[in-house]
Amino acid sequence: MTAPVPLLSVENLTITYASDAGPVQALRAAHLTARAGEVIGIVGESGCGKSTLASALINLLAANARVTSGAVRLRGQDILTLPEDAKRAIRGRHIAMVFQDPMTSFNPVLPLGAQLTDFQHHLPQTRAEKRTRARAMLARVGIPDPDLVLTRFIHELSGGMRQRAAIAAALLMTPDVLVADEPTTALDVTMEAQIIHLLRALRADHQGTILIVTHHLGVIGELCDRVYVMYAGQVVEEATVDDLYHAPRHPYTRALIACDPAHLETHTPVLPTIPGHLPDLTAPPPGCSFANRCPLVTSRCHTAPPPWVRLSDTQAALCHEVAP
Amino acid sequence: MTALYDVKNLSVDLTLPQGLVGMLLPGSKPKLNLLKAISLTLNQSETFGLVGESGSGKTTLARAMLGLLPISGGQLAFEGQPLTSSRSFTPLRRRAAMMFQDATASLSPRMTVGALLAEPFHIHRQPLPDPNAMAASLLARVGLPAAIAGRFPHELSGGQARRVGVARALALNPALVIADEPTAGLDVSVQGEVLNLMTALKADLGLSLMIITHNLAMVRHVSDRIAILYLGRLMETGPTRAVFARPAHPYTQSLIASEPQPDPRKRRTGPAISGEIPSVLNRPAGCAFHSRCPRAAALCRHTTPELRDLGQGRAAACHFAELT
Ligand SMILES: Nc1ncnc2c1ncn2[C@@H]1O[C@H](COP(=O)(O)OP(=O)(O)O)[C@@H](O)[C@H]1O
Ligand code: SF4
Ligand SMILES: [Mg+2]
Repeated sequence: MTAPVPLLSVENLTITYASDAGPVQALRAAHLTARAGEVIGIVGESGCGKSTLASALINLLAANARVTSGAVRLRGQDILTLPEDAKRAIRGRHIAMVFQDPMTSFNPVLPLGAQLTDFQHHLPQTRAEKRTRARAMLARVGIPDPDLVLTRFIHELSGGMRQRAAIAAALLMTPDVLVADEPTTALDVTMEAQIIHLLRALRADHQGTILIVTHHLGVIGELCDRVYVMYAGQVVEEATVDDLYHAPRHPYTRALIACDPAHLETHTPVLPTIPGHLPDLTAPPPGCSFANRCPLVTSRCHTAPPPWVRLSDTQAALCHEVAP
Repeated sequence: MTALYDVKNLSVDLTLPQGLVGMLLPGSKPKLNLLKAISLTLNQSETFGLVGESGSGKTTLARAMLGLLPISGGQLAFEGQPLTSSRSFTPLRRRAAMMFQDATASLSPRMTVGALLAEPFHIHRQPLPDPNAMAASLLARVGLPAAIAGRFPHELSGGQARRVGVARALALNPALVIADEPTAGLDVSVQGEVLNLMTALKADLGLSLMIITHNLAMVRHVSDRIAILYLGRLMETGPTRAVFARPAHPYTQSLIASEPQPDPRKRRTGPAISGEIPSVLNRPAGCAFHSRCPRAAALCRHTTPELRDLGQGRAAACHFAELT
């Protein structure tokens, strides 16, 4: 039996940024698979390459970025090699993005109603029908007075309402893939809880896949089905959300969970940390990127790149010291 | 335990220019109330957590306590001395240091770390016979090499910049350090380092720490006592462990229940709290929290609850505090 083609897959994706200090290897052979209906988490600390991966998915890489190898496949087709106009057609319609700063999604000098109507330019409906759809989508994402909001500018809304409006804008096109990069990071905790609840509710009527990119394990735990953990530009572990929290295998995943104060049930005045720091991504080490911080490190970790070890159907880790 | 800082019934109003008020609040007095009826005590050698969502008045309270803002009611006393005139704040300003939010931005970009560490001595006209030796000793205290003194803030990592912020706060041997969001924007693996450093210094130097934050998961572990603010009102205060074990105020309960859970087996079923924080321009009558409170009764809509003593150092401003 051959496996069906996944909705989205990232294969061996390597991206560098030009910099004064030489090329920054922001992604190194990153990979993931997402099927329709799944909510996938991508987690890691700042600088691990999460946003680079997210920008590659929507084909909005920085000007100094270069894809040196790999593919991003939507239903099997590599979208990185398409002509510019075909890329633009995919963006928004098939793969849409919600950013940490919802202002990114909107033009500050146009009322929201006009923008939400324009976003649907490829649809056959009349402007009035598109406005009605926009209104319905604002209501769907929990905006209490959608008629009023259609006449407003983005800066006139509160932080929570802005993020709801950005989610509505992304969903208007009924995309196959919704990518949300740190969607709750700028919000207060009560607003964060509401947006998490909203995203969870939306998966019921969203046919595609949702990718949640975050540094926050709480957001992963609340929302995701499966998770990819990133460190220094590489995917270091893949697991179901339950295994990730209850049976993590990669030493970095374990250390990351241990550091999360929300993970500590008893009062812990001295917090756990991960001593050391990220390697320099202009010259990543020849062996394991985590070797200088890893409690399980052995000599081969410093010299040989660790293998991607398959531990079960749903779990795998990039490490010399894990065994099935 | 003796009180280091005593705040009684503090209120702070913002005086608005006439024209603006006329526009925003027709027919009202040109004042906007930011804090009211705030009473709390910082003890010697303790870590006090000041918690609240954005706009709750945390930074305003800290600035008022340092005499950086005029107060419009109540009494402040530091080491038993009432702070009544602006001159009475002079000794306090030398004995209390503030670490501002966003360490790198708050460090002047054109000054070296060495110059930044000498600055408090100049500002407070304190003798500084050997600036280099002083910089080296302050840096050593926060675990940084003396060579850092020659660097500029943008050359530091996030964790190093926070450490420099701590070193600068320690320059004049303070009795109190007020840290505004000391770990905002830091990764969890580095957050612990900065907090552990502050906790260790607190013990070694016998100082008191006030940590201002919206990060409940963190403050729960590092503080001895906490106060929770909402829209410029004190909702609850008490020993941290007791408050988290059994929060008395519905707002505290909602905040704790809003924190996303990294353990997918403990997923929240729905958002603990609906609606948004009202604007300070549109403060609800009665209890400030009533518009979002799951327990609100008719009484709450018109009668402001006093802070009620619940025994064992706890107090909450809710009409039903004794019933939880
Ligand atoms: N436009 C850019 N130019 C140079 N380096 C960049 C650029 N964008 C990101 N980087 C670098 O690439 C690495 C990965 O960054 P990023 O994808 O933003 O990570 P994350 O989103 O996980 O924080 C980091 O070392 C970052 O400094
Ligand atoms: S490969 Fe070695 S250094 Fe890297 S995570 Fe595994 S044990 Fe640690
Ligand atoms: Mg990012």
